[in-house]
Amino acid sequence: MGQRILLCDDEVHILRATEIKLSRAGFDVVCALDGEEAWEEIERTRPDLLITDCQMPRLDGVGLVKRIRSCQATRDIPVLMLTAKGFELERDDVVTRCGVKAIMAKPFSPRELLQCAQDVLTHGEIQQKPMLQMD
Amino acid sequence: MNRIRSISMLAWLVAGMVCTWVGVWAVGWLSLTGLPTSQDMLLGVGFLITSVSAGVWMMRLRRDQQAALRYFKRLSHVEPRDLGLEDQPVNLPVLSEANAWRRVAERLQRTAAEHGQRIEQAEHARGVAEAKMQRLRKSNEQLRAILDDLQEPVIAIDAFDELVLTNASARELFCVDVDGLEQQAIESIVQCKTLVEAMLDTRRRKTSTQRSTELEIGIDDQSKWYHVSTRTIPSMAADDTHRHGAVAVLRDVSGHKAAQKRNAEFVSSVSHEMKTPLAGIRAYAELLADGDAEDDAAQEEFLRVILTQTDRLQRLVDNLLNLARIEAGVVNVSKQPCSLNEVLEEAFQVVQPTAEAKQIELTSELSPLYLGALIDRDMILQLAINLLSNAIKYTPQGGAVRFRSRMKDNEVIFEVEDTGVGLSEEDREKVFEKFYRVKKDRKMAQGTGLGLPLAKHIVEDMHAGQIEVQSTLGRGSTFQVSLPSSGQINHSSS
Repeated sequence: MGQRILLCDDEVHILRATEIKLSRAGFDVVCALDGEEAWEEIERTRPDLLITDCQMPRLDGVGLVKRIRSCQATRDIPVLMLTAKGFELERDDVVTRCGVKAIMAKPFSPRELLQCAQDVLTHGEIQQKPMLQMD
Repeated sequence: MNRIRSISMLAWLVAGMVCTWVGVWAVGWLSLTGLPTSQDMLLGVGFLITSVSAGVWMMRLRRDQQAALRYFKRLSHVEPRDLGLEDQPVNLPVLSEANAWRRVAERLQRTAAEHGQRIEQAEHARGVAEAKMQRLRKSNEQLRAILDDLQEPVIAIDAFDELVLTNASARELFCVDVDGLEQQAIESIVQCKTLVEAMLDTRRRKTSTQRSTELEIGIDDQSKWYHVSTRTIPSMAADDTHRHGAVAVLRDVSGHKAAQKRNAEFVSSVSHEMKTPLAGIRAYAELLADGDAEDDAAQEEFLRVILTQTDRLQRLVDNLLNLARIEAGVVNVSKQPCSLNEVLEEAFQVVQPTAEAKQIELTSELSPLYLGALIDRDMILQLAINLLSNAIKYTPQGGAVRFRSRMKDNEVIFEVEDTGVGLSEEDREKVFEKFYRVKKDRKMAQGTGLGLPLAKHIVEDMHAGQIEVQSTLGRGSTFQVSLPSSGQINHSSS
């Protein structure tokens, strides 16, 4: 059984595209449509990696990561964040305070996202940072 | 002449004295010798002449004195300014040349006339000064009225940091009740540390200075942003050329700031709205390119997503362009008689997949009647899609959206009713403003804040209709659009 990745995004088609890419690479992919749903899934299945969108209804990406970090059992789950936000997202703040491994700006490449996920799960860090783009 | 008169008077006096002495001597002598002789008679006559002469002289003296008294009395009643320096005033008695008082009177009259002239000059000067003062006072009042009419608060301090001028706006802004005439220290009156520091800093400059800055003045929600321009002004004291005061003119730029903020939010929002469909297009195009589609059905699904997202992107761009066109006043409206229901049905079909994906019960209750209206078909389609999309966006999963149309009098009406989050009274008034987005619902759905302003433009400006919203917070909203009817009432063919 492959490593489990939890995908969280309120845009169904983006969720589906990412799911296809990661599933075909052999990961066990679970999807959630917002932060609350993702948190329930995290509590239930303890994924090896969380890939979450930033702006979502009910509980947004930053709120979700904060909640994960505040819980002893989940604080070590690595997180990759996707965002369509522009300048108002303070990258350093999110990365340093919440321990997000990387933020990928939309539109992103599923191929690059897969590479990042593999890096994080294999080495614990992103190997090819230049692939990531920020606004 | 005067000398002759004086000598004559002296002669009369000496003669009188001699005669008196002779007379006294004669009386003494008679009392010793008895009967008067011819010599005695002569002496008596001399004595008589002397006495008469003295009497006459005394009478003349008294007459002159009385004339002089009348003159002085009359002079005391004459206004000094009425006395000319040269001419003899007609209402004063004339003293004769022989009157000993005449010179005194002339000197006195001249002095009084000079005094009168000085009074007249002083009064003239006073009149001029008063007129100038009046003009200055009026000019000052005008300036104060102009300053008070200014919406921009104005404050001035002198070289001693004392408040010397405030206009009505400044008094209102800083809640002070002094207009500057009391000259109190600005720090004790104006409770805005940043402004006071800016003014004092400018005032302390040794050379003429103008500076500007932006300050937030006020408390919390009541605060406003002001562009503050401070500059040095000459000292009030005429002999003080080294020191100067300072004046601050404040301009409310809150609206500008808010517009900047709204614009930044709008750009961010538009960017987000564009990136989301772009992300879908890119992701699925890459999946196709990488051969991640397992079969034809998957390939078809990927292509369909790309097309849907392209449409979504196009709608956003259309919205932006429509708004830009409307604002630039270059909209081409091509109205044609249309079946409103047909347009509404098309809008319904467009949003149905979104409602299904969100598990929202979307029901169409369109009128079976033909609702004819003279409309720009594309615009009304856009409007209906915007209203339906909004309803779906702000209705939680499992909620319901109803789409209705009907005929009422000479109007055709359609409405979108949802069981969504609803609007507060404040939000109800503002939802049609450009870029306005309900704060608490921003996380719920993406939006540009353009849909409803665009809807209002389309309905009211382009079609002379009306758009209204009824809403209860937490229970849902109903947006109703009324358009003038143009068609006959027939049963719809569909």
